[in-house]
Amino acid sequence: MEISRSTRKIHRREKTAKAVIWGLSALTIFILFWIIGFILIRGFYSNKEVRYDFTGYTEETIPLDDQHGVIFVAHSKLRIKDITTEDLQTLYTSPIRELNTWGDFTGQDIYCKPAVYLEPSEFNSAVQKLLLGNSALDDWKSYTVKKNSSEEILEYVGNTPGGLGYIPAEDAYLIDKKVQIIPVRDMVLQVNPSVTDIVNNRSLQAVTMDQLNSILRGDVANWNQIDGPELPLVLGLSSSINLSEQLDGISHSVTAMDSRASMLSFLEHTPGALLMSRFGDIDTHDFELLSVDRIERGRNLTLAFILEKPAGGDAGGISYFIINTLILIILTLLFSTPVGVMAAIYLVEYAKQGPFVRILRMGTETLAGIPSIVFGLFGRIFFVKILGLGIGFLSSTLTVTLMILPTLVRTSEEALKAVPKNLREGSLAMGATRFQTIMRVVIPAASPGILTGIILAVGRVVGETAILLYTLGSGYDLVRNLSSPARVLSLHLYLLFSEAVSFDRAFATATVLIFMVLITNLLTKKLIRKQSVYS
Amino acid sequence: MSTNIVVKDLDLFYGDFQALHSVSLDIEENQVTALIGPSGCGKSTFIRTLNRMNDLIDSVKITGEVLYHGEDIYDSESDVIELRKRVGMVFQKPNPFPMSVYENVAYGPKIHGKSNRTELDILVEKSLRGAALWDEVKDRLDKPATGLSGGQQQRLCIARTLAVEPEVVLMDEPTSALDPMSTSKIEDLIDQLKLNYTIVIVTHNMQQAGRISDKTCFFLNGYIEEIGSTDQIFFNPQSSKTEDYISGKFG
Repeated sequence: MEISRSTRKIHRREKTAKAVIWGLSALTIFILFWIIGFILIRGFYSNKEVRYDFTGYTEETIPLDDQHGVIFVAHSKLRIKDITTEDLQTLYTSPIRELNTWGDFTGQDIYCKPAVYLEPSEFNSAVQKLLLGNSALDDWKSYTVKKNSSEEILEYVGNTPGGLGYIPAEDAYLIDKKVQIIPVRDMVLQVNPSVTDIVNNRSLQAVTMDQLNSILRGDVANWNQIDGPELPLVLGLSSSINLSEQLDGISHSVTAMDSRASMLSFLEHTPGALLMSRFGDIDTHDFELLSVDRIERGRNLTLAFILEKPAGGDAGGISYFIINTLILIILTLLFSTPVGVMAAIYLVEYAKQGPFVRILRMGTETLAGIPSIVFGLFGRIFFVKILGLGIGFLSSTLTVTLMILPTLVRTSEEALKAVPKNLREGSLAMGATRFQTIMRVVIPAASPGILTGIILAVGRVVGETAILLYTLGSGYDLVRNLSSPARVLSLHLYLLFSEAVSFDRAFATATVLIFMVLITNLLTKKLIRKQSVYS
Repeated sequence: MSTNIVVKDLDLFYGDFQALHSVSLDIEENQVTALIGPSGCGKSTFIRTLNRMNDLIDSVKITGEVLYHGEDIYDSESDVIELRKRVGMVFQKPNPFPMSVYENVAYGPKIHGKSNRTELDILVEKSLRGAALWDEVKDRLDKPATGLSGGQQQRLCIARTLAVEPEVVLMDEPTSALDPMSTSKIEDLIDQLKLNYTIVIVTHNMQQAGRISDKTCFFLNGYIEEIGSTDQIFFNPQSSKTEDYISGKFG
């Protein structure tokens, strides 16, 4: 039979509707994968551009004035990729022993324990000049550990977590597995002021490592090729720099300089001059340093990050925060589940369905929809101030309990209502009391629904930040008692982000949060499946 | 033969609507009494008054007497829990509890205070045998009851009722949700049960009433139109309406 016009029209409509539905659902799936994928990728893999005063070129051996070189070594457990000379100076000259940790460089909460090579020699004084050069110190700080030979230094560094030391390059053969060589970044860029002049409201702030590589290869003749001013680029290089390891070819038009005076005059008198020199070569007060942007890639979320105890926002791991989160979840559920389920039982099983119950129901619905910050405000004033519980675990647990209670009541109510009437009748017809029926038949039958409500509640607790900001404080410690201030994952994430401590850590924490929610969901699903076999 | 339950002038109201009009009926011991009638005639409402299941509905008002062994069960002193223990009920749709087969049967004895495991084991077996289910479920006592077939579930509900050791078993259309095979099994079971129990059964199925009951009571619009022995109702009805209903002219 021929397809009629009206059928064709219906077909067309059907197709359009299908296309719209497919399109929208594809969009939803795309958004879902995009968000989760983005967070997970950033969580597991860090890829960021960091601006330094030093170039990214590293050397294992730093040449010294006396023709020797120096090798810096550290304890093998330190997760360090490289370090700048300036940071080495800080580690060796920090005025406050307590602040002298590896945290800024490796994220590990380990004190830096620097050792010095004390045997009086040209080598020692050359290193001393390198490390104390910019400080007013004329001798090693008292906290440095003094050793007399390369062997002693290596033994000390290898056996001391956080150990740091140096040895002459010719003793490199002594290095064993317990220590690692730290590659050092010692080269800085300086420019004639004409390069960083503001032209058209813009001034050159930094070059990327890629741009620097091209400059050194001689591929950049004018600053405007790298977003700088219209100015020929004149490259100067300290003669102590040998880049044969880092670059395959270097520009022939480069001026090599070996004295400080010649470098200074080169910088001062050549418009568009760029000088790459060693940190110790010149006085940094004279000319502006040109910053270098380096792309740093690497693993972000590591097992160590999950397992280590936290030490401030930027060092250590998040193990305590994970435990605190779990304790918060357990305590809130302990408080809220019995109350919520009992309230639901009252509303469904006992209360006379009238205006009173309608008002109660409307109240719980309204409370369930109120933003959590309102609960936070209430908790801060009522629990913290009026009841005098103070900022701490108890106040926050109670406030979060209040927040999830209405949701829990609503979901439990729905679950109880969904239990077929004939189950209740079956039990009552056998002479069971109402209470027996509820406890032994209705609640087991409703438990999948009640559990679903509990997962939703767990999700809200895990993600809660506003309330905790007001009532939990931000201590780094494990919760020891109910009044101790603490930090949970979501709060930690918020603080990392809002105080711009570290985006890498924020994403790593977010990843852990996502996995926590995932695991909770899977576990509860399993539990529900087990429960609903019966009903 | 002695009477077990005597109903006198029972009126039942749902709010303003009168569902039963001065119903009077004697239920004899160890007999099957069938209640038949078209939908909405009040037979289910009536059977639920016998163990006070209508109490669960707020708007129900009852006048008249239901005497169980001579005592009015609607007396304010009367013990409804004891009543329901002795007058058990099986519902239209199988309603096993969300627990194992064993726990389902042990549920009643447990809530009435039996906790001795061996006693319970014996009672569970006895009840399941009584409901002709033992052989089918003895290997899966700890499996969820919801995994049984519909007919097995219904017999489980009967076993569950028997476990409380009642005298009277009320059945509200117990086979209407079952296939013919399961139905015949349950009918056979009812034949067995009447040796030890008094049975009141609501049924839509005229043949069923004819097959299993000793006494039949025809309800129409909340009134009892006719009561009599099953043979008399089916073969020699006094009322023309009964005859019309039996012969399928309406209903």
